[in-house]
This record gives sequence, structure tokens and C-alpha cells, in this order.
Amino acid sequence: MTQFLDIILALALASIIFSFGSARLPGLIKIVAFQGIAVSLLPFFTGQEMSVGGITFTLATLLIRGVGIPLCIYIVIRKVSIHREVEPIVGYNASLLIGILLIFAAFFFSRKFNVPSIADSPLLLPTAITLLVGGMFLLMARRNAIAMVLGYITMENGIYLVGTTFSARILHIVEFGILLDVLAGVMIMAVILQDIRQKFDDVDTALLRTLKE
Amino acid sequence: MLEIVFLAPFVTGLLAFFAPGKSGRALLVATGAIHLLLSLILWLQRPQALFPSYFAVTPEGILSLLVISLLFFLISIYSTGYLDSADIKSENVFIGSMLLFLSTMTMVTLSDHIMVMWIAIEATTIASAPLIFIHRSAKSVEATWKYVLICSVGIALALLGSVLISLSMEIGNVDAPISFSALSSEAKRLDPFWLKVGFIFIFVGYGTKMGLAPMHTWLPDAHSEAPSPASALLSGVLLNCAFLGIFKTNKIMHAAGLGDFSGAILMAFGLISILAAATFILKQTEYKRLLAYSSIENMGIIAFGTGIGGIGAYGAILCLIHHSLIKSSLFLTSGNILLGYGSRLIEKTGNLAGRMPKTFVAFFAGFAGISGFPPFGLFIGEVLIVVGAFRSGHYILAGIFAVSICVIFAGFSKHIMKISFDKSDIKNIKIKEKASMIWPQYILLLTSVALGLWMPDMLYQTIVNAVVSIGGVF
Repeated sequence: MTQFLDIILALALASIIFSFGSARLPGLIKIVAFQGIAVSLLPFFTGQEMSVGGITFTLATLLIRGVGIPLCIYIVIRKVSIHREVEPIVGYNASLLIGILLIFAAFFFSRKFNVPSIADSPLLLPTAITLLVGGMFLLMARRNAIAMVLGYITMENGIYLVGTTFSARILHIVEFGILLDVLAGVMIMAVILQDIRQKFDDVDTALLRTLKE
Repeated sequence: MLEIVFLAPFVTGLLAFFAPGKSGRALLVATGAIHLLLSLILWLQRPQALFPSYFAVTPEGILSLLVISLLFFLISIYSTGYLDSADIKSENVFIGSMLLFLSTMTMVTLSDHIMVMWIAIEATTIASAPLIFIHRSAKSVEATWKYVLICSVGIALALLGSVLISLSMEIGNVDAPISFSALSSEAKRLDPFWLKVGFIFIFVGYGTKMGLAPMHTWLPDAHSEAPSPASALLSGVLLNCAFLGIFKTNKIMHAAGLGDFSGAILMAFGLISILAAATFILKQTEYKRLLAYSSIENMGIIAFGTGIGGIGAYGAILCLIHHSLIKSSLFLTSGNILLGYGSRLIEKTGNLAGRMPKTFVAFFAGFAGISGFPPFGLFIGEVLIVVGAFRSGHYILAGIFAVSICVIFAGFSKHIMKISFDKSDIKNIKIKEKASMIWPQYILLLTSVALGLWMPDMLYQTIVNAVVSIGGVF
């Protein structure tokens, strides 16, 4: 089982590198969707007993993170049909370098933390840290509103990883919280969508420029 | 069955989205009245919760709840007048969101479980975002975007902090529910390293929502773009709710013997916020943003006082209550000015004393109150914080605190004098000063004066109970 766990975590780590290097929104959305699926699959392989309710909840999270949200975002950019570029503040090569350094740093620091409950999976804590910090990096280093939302989702994936593995006893409440976050994400979408509609009514391009800040 | 206090506005909030015609306004006021009644019953009877592991009545919670309830009732009365004059197209969305916002904030004050609290605070973001967005102008889109994004990221960090605290339980082999009360009684056995890390994340997370500098950037935009009744709610009670999360975690830290660590963080960010407000308040051009920066200042004062502990913490709770009362009245008054003059800019206003005398009385009295003049209660709170700072030997910090408050007063009064007494070329004021748009502010200010002069013993005891674990009172 731990082999699968490590494979999934390695895939999540790889997704961070890919997301740092991707220049266009559709690609970035696919990467984040993939990452969401990988992270949501994790509870099946941690070796804990799962109740029927737990399995349903995990599957529901998987559907929402892996399919629901990415599809929503994809529809939004299809409707908008402009600004496909992620508009980096930090360039792609520099981003990739930062990503690799980040993974190294995450491995280095997680050795310092003595967390007994995850001692049998050395990849878990570094992956969680990488996703968290990587998501924040995407949030800050991309000007496109949708890329920022994707950074936020990456960050949430990291927190989900921490939550599901560190504290088995509050699992469902954490998951419920994540669902609420989904709602917040959808609301952000609604805001953007509204704004674009306004833009079509009124040919004022300043609207999107104010949004970026 | 204390859950009914937040379930009632939740149900009426959903109903309000489908209210025909102007019946939503009646629903708003009625819910406000019922909520106030329920809160008073809660205050007197302190009933058991249906889900005692998630919800409980705590002294700091019930204090905030009573403030929320009183404020909301008065704001709902004001809103009926405001909706007549203001141009809000989707009235049902406005009223529904106000009620849902009330419901989520009530949930924050009553939650005892660390995760339920987090969920409730996240829900306040979702419920209040439509209120900021309601005008649908480019500026309000930007303000909403900033609000939702910055607060969501902040609150995500608070979630991480909550998870880390549960990790500190696991390492310390503590088998208890993850509620604030259980954690406080078991605090000594928690792993101190992860508890500290958890506190930092929770502080940064909820501090973002509370408007502490340097995470405050969403606050002036959101407060100035929202319609005035919503700004009054945002500033008067939403910030308190976020503070409650920090306050309760700080209690755990004190119980674990890490009070110095958390106190230092609170004092540092408190002072940074006061200094930031002092820098920005001088060059503001819009009066609603001016009030928003004053909220940042007051949140800084409250964080600073809480960090000092003891008598300073008592002062901080006083500041919390009186800031809510006075600032919400100021935001409501700013709604009158906005409707009357039709502009948010300070330079487009003037001669308020002559043009809108009743509004002027509320505005100027509110200004005196928020600047910390007696007999308003904020005065006592700030004095106690300074006394607390001196007693604990923080002479330099107390000095910085006092000087920056003076700078803020100077900057604030310059703008207020301009609005109140300068000449104005506006020919006619667009609204009449209706009783429903004046008396709520008067009542709020009078409550603050009354509580400053005479504090009921029950209220005093509740505040003492709230702060007793962070260093006692006297």
C-alpha cells in the first residue's frame, strides 16, 4: 500500500513543477485537476480503516476537486475567451528553478520536524509543504485572476493533505470545511463572470485591469 | 437549544430571497427583533446546546452575541429608511445576505469546536461577499475580489493552524474533543512546539479577517464599497468575530503557559496596525475609507490590549464593545452623508452642521467617541490599556501607542472639521433626515455613553470571566 502512497505523492510533487512551468490557463487547469484527484485518492492508501460514510465522502471530494471545480473554471474561461495567458510576474524558468528549490527545502525542513504519525511515509510532509507554499507562490507570481484561483486551490490541496493525514479524528469536519471552500471558489468565479458580462455590455477594458491588482 | 439563535436568521434569510415586493424589509426588522429577544434569553438563562461538543455559551461569546444582536436590530431599522432612498436594485439579495450574515456571525460567537469556528468564519466571508458586490460597479467588483481572495487565503492558513493544534494534541496524547474549552483545560499536555506554530497560523489567518496590518489591504475597499448598513455590520461586528477566534486561541496559549509568546505577537501586530492606520489616515480623500482605517486602528488597540493581558485585556474588551457601538453608528451616519451629498469624496461635502443638522450631531458625537473622549466608553478602555502597559513595564510601547493615537486624532479631526464646517457648493441635499435614519445612531451612541458612565454588574462580571484566564483583572 505504501508504494501506491508514494507514487501518488510523487505525482502530486510533479504536478507542482508542471504548474509552475505552464503558460496557458487550460493546461494549468488540467494540472490542478490532476493534482486534486491525486490528493483526494490519498485516504484510500493511508492504511486506515474506512467506513462506508468515509468512502462516500472521499469519493464526493474526489468528484468535486477533480472534476467539478476544474470544469467550472474551464467553462468560465471558455465564456470569457480572452486572457488565456497566466501573465507571470516571475518568469517560467525562474519559477521552475524556485519550484525545484522549494521541493529541496521542503524535504530538508520536514526532517527537522518530528511527527510520529507519518513516520512511515517520508514523502508526505514534504509534499504537503510544497503544495502549500507552491500554491501561495502561484497566487503571488501570476497576475491572471483565474491563475490566482488555481493557486488558491493548490494551497487548499496542501492543507487537505495535512488535514487528512495528521488528524484522523477530525477528518470529516476538515472535509466539510473544504466543501465550504469550494463554495467560496464558486463565488469567486461568479464575481469574475459577472465582471466579464459587464465588460461586454460596456466596452470599458479598465474593468479587467482593476481586477488584476 | 441555543442553536435556534443562528438557525432562525438562517431560515428567514433564505426566505428573504423570495420575499415579494417590499415585504423583505419587514422580515429584516422582525428577524432583528426576534434575534435580540433570543440573545437576551440566552444571556439570562444560558441553556445547554443540542450539540454540546460543537456549541457552548462562553463569556466572550455571549458578550459579542449581545453586541451583534443589538447592532443588527438597530441597523435593520436604519436599513428600511436607507433602502427607500438608496439605489439598490436587488433588494432581496441585500436583505437575504444581511440575514445569512447575521446567522453566520451568531454561529461564530457560539461555536466552541475549533473547526466549527473556522467553518463559521469562512461562512461569514461567503455570506457578506454579495453585500460588497451589490452595486456591481467596477470598483465594487474589485473590492469583492480582493475581499474574497485575501480573506479566503488568510482563513485557509487558519485552517492549517487548527489542524496543527489537533496535531499537538496527538503528539501530547491528549484524548479530548477539539473544543476551546477542552483544549484550555488540557493545555499543559499539548505539544508546545506545534501549539506555537498553530497559534501563529491561526493568528495570521483570523488576523487577516480582523484587519490587522499588514494583512488589512482588503478592509478599506470592502468597507467603502459596501452599502452603509452593510459597512456598519462589517466594521462593527465581523471584525469582532475574527478577533474572537484569536482571543480563544490566546486563552489556550495562556493555559499552556505560553502566554508571553502569544502576547508578544499580539502586541507587535497591534502596534503595527495602529502605526499603519496613523500613516494612511492622514491622506485619505474618502470619508468611508477614513472610517475604515479608524477600524484598523481600533483593532490594533484591541490586539495590543489583549497582548498585554490583565487590566489591559479588560480594557481591550471594553474597546471591543464600544468600538462596535460607535463605529457602526458612524458608518450609518456616513450613509446619510453619502445619500445627501451623493459623493464619497471628502472635498465634495462640507457644512454638514448647517445642511443636515441631525446627521451632524450623530456624526460629530461619533467622532468624539471614536477618538476616545469621555464620557464615551472607549475612553475608559484606552486608559486601562495604557495603565496595563505601564504596569507590565512596557513603557516604550505605551509611549508609541499614545503618540500614534494622538496622530490619528489629529488627522481624523482635520477631515471631520472639513466635512462639518467648511463651505459647500452643493445646492440641495438629496434626502430628508428621516427618524429611522437618525435614531438608530443616537441610540447606539447613547448606549456607549450609558455603559461608560454606569456598567451593570452582570456585564462587568461577564467581562471579568472572559479575561480572567489571561492574567486576571486587577
